[in-house]
Amino acid sequence: MSDLLLPSVATILAQREETPDTRTFSLRFRDVREHEAFSFHPGQFLELSVFGIGEAPFCLASSPTRPEMIEVTVRRCGEVTDALHGMGPGGELGIRGPCGNGFDLGSAEGQDLLFVAGGIGLPPLRGLIWNVLDLRERFGRVTILYGARTPSDLVYKEELTAWAGMEGVRLETTVDKGEPGWSGNVGMVPVLFDRVDLRPESTTAYVCGPPIMIKFVVQDLLMRGFREDRVISTLERMMQCGVGKCNHCCIGHRYLCRDGPVFSFAEIKEMWE
Amino acid sequence: MPTELVRVIPKGAVQAWVERLIGQGEVIAPRRGPGGDEVFGTISRPEEVLWDFGNPLAPPKEFLLPQTEPLALIRRDGGSMHVEPICDEEPRILLNLRSCDLTGIRFLEQVLGQDIPDRAFLRRAESFTLVSLACTKPCPLGFCVCCGAGPFLGEGFDLQLTDLGDVLLAEAGGSKGERLLEVGEGLFRAPTSEELERRVSLEEEALRSFGEITCHFGSAMRRISTRRVDETVWAAMAPWCLGCGGCNLACPTCYCFSVKDRSVQWAGKPGDGATDAGTRWKDPGEGDLGPSWVRCRTWDSCQYEAFTLEASGHNPRADRAERMKRRFYHKVSAQYYQKDGVLGCVGCGRCIRVCMGTTDMPAVVEAIRKGAWEGAGVREVALHV
Repeated sequence: MSDLLLPSVATILAQREETPDTRTFSLRFRDVREHEAFSFHPGQFLELSVFGIGEAPFCLASSPTRPEMIEVTVRRCGEVTDALHGMGPGGELGIRGPCGNGFDLGSAEGQDLLFVAGGIGLPPLRGLIWNVLDLRERFGRVTILYGARTPSDLVYKEELTAWAGMEGVRLETTVDKGEPGWSGNVGMVPVLFDRVDLRPESTTAYVCGPPIMIKFVVQDLLMRGFREDRVISTLERMMQCGVGKCNHCCIGHRYLCRDGPVFSFAEIKEMWE
Repeated sequence: MPTELVRVIPKGAVQAWVERLIGQGEVIAPRRGPGGDEVFGTISRPEEVLWDFGNPLAPPKEFLLPQTEPLALIRRDGGSMHVEPICDEEPRILLNLRSCDLTGIRFLEQVLGQDIPDRAFLRRAESFTLVSLACTKPCPLGFCVCCGAGPFLGEGFDLQLTDLGDVLLAEAGGSKGERLLEVGEGLFRAPTSEELERRVSLEEEALRSFGEITCHFGSAMRRISTRRVDETVWAAMAPWCLGCGGCNLACPTCYCFSVKDRSVQWAGKPGDGATDAGTRWKDPGEGDLGPSWVRCRTWDSCQYEAFTLEASGHNPRADRAERMKRRFYHKVSAQYYQKDGVLGCVGCGRCIRVCMGTTDMPAVVEAIRKGAWEGAGVREVALHV
């Protein structure tokens, strides 16, 4: 279906619990040809609908280098996500997309890459990280810094272990508040900067997380000499159409669903409304 | 006169022409509503059409972009979901639109057609023929002269009618308008040179009678686009806005929307197409043929607090001042003017009629321009009445 607001149908193949309130769903278009024709960039998003409940935007959490399944990681916090969490394998969803601009990975080739994520901010970066790791030779050093409120709020626990064990990948995690059995770092994400060796002049940084975390991380990166156009983040607003028509997600005359959601800090600081 | 084809029709033959138009498809025109109000509605008899009327409070945008527009029928059949598009492309004629309202419809086509085009909307818009009735005398609250949206139109119309007293002069703006003249074959004749001159002088008189520019968009645009409107101006205006969203609903160019699923009972047979949507579903309780929904596009308002409310509870425009600023930035800023190529106001004056707090377009443009909100007293300045 090519009409702007018309969803196709996707089938849930699997779901797994990441944290008590967050699950990852693996999807395929019900129509095989539609699935094969689907292509996207990390950082783009989908409009998913639970029929009869509503539609909402979710970032693509999988990598285009692994096209068998489309994955989204969803925290339960509203009507649509509540209904989605009630669905399991075999369930059918409405799916539109991909929407938005996505990360421009081409411009980062040859650079060191730094991924900084907080809490539910890792899913938008996860697809990008796998994309990078699947094209490993095109990039320099890969550093992943991830923080969450508590150890049980860390998503993709198995993948974190896998990434930590990969050659040429440095992974550090931290939590705001430890739990019994946690022997790792405690503190906000910026505490990790001093634990890793960064080359700001030749690094592109991708930062995703809650607004307060983004603010402090970006501030810290700029002070360390990162270029404003090499600090990349994603913005969020309430969205409906996802295709630049409904006007819910505007910041000034920018539409996060069309011009974004991915912006460099150089672009973000020029936004106003 | 920059038109391809000009004809005149004696007043006595107009009803016969409208009768023939009704045979071409649904004719929608200003008429008397059940309570006696002037409203846009379907015409079943030619004498229902109003030729001398105040512009209806509800703009004709609802016929192209309905307040609740069905987009798709969603149906569960066993364990499987089916999505069938609904597109109403019946031919319709919008008759006796005012110039401002016709400009508003062209605005909607522009904004929904640009970037990723909303093809379903464009197909629907294409099925309409737009006939305007030029304004020879000013309406009490209109300021179309400030927006280039009237009182007469130079382009955009399929057919523009001008009341010359004993005859109507009709200018076709394209093939759809010419078609309506063909439908009236035998009723129309070529204009005399005196009639053509009268048409020109009526436009000149109308422009004169509309008076001076009262809503200074250019100056407001320069200020709002360069961040020269102090936050205190919006803060001073905010208490005057009741947040009712009436300005959005009555505005011919407001098109912000949300998408919702409405629960219905499926009343048709699977797979038999969904173009005659109106007859195909019933409200819950009228039948029991399995769970189904209609995905609808519904009007929304940037003045509602929930417009930007996120599921997390965060709201970037929780303040009324922020929401007012948003509305006027979208309508008046150079950033949007350059992006859309059109101004987001057609000067119809409906926001003046509906706003109980006097934060209507001319009043706010005045506040932006002056950098100060003068309260309700500004109304006298803004309105040339």
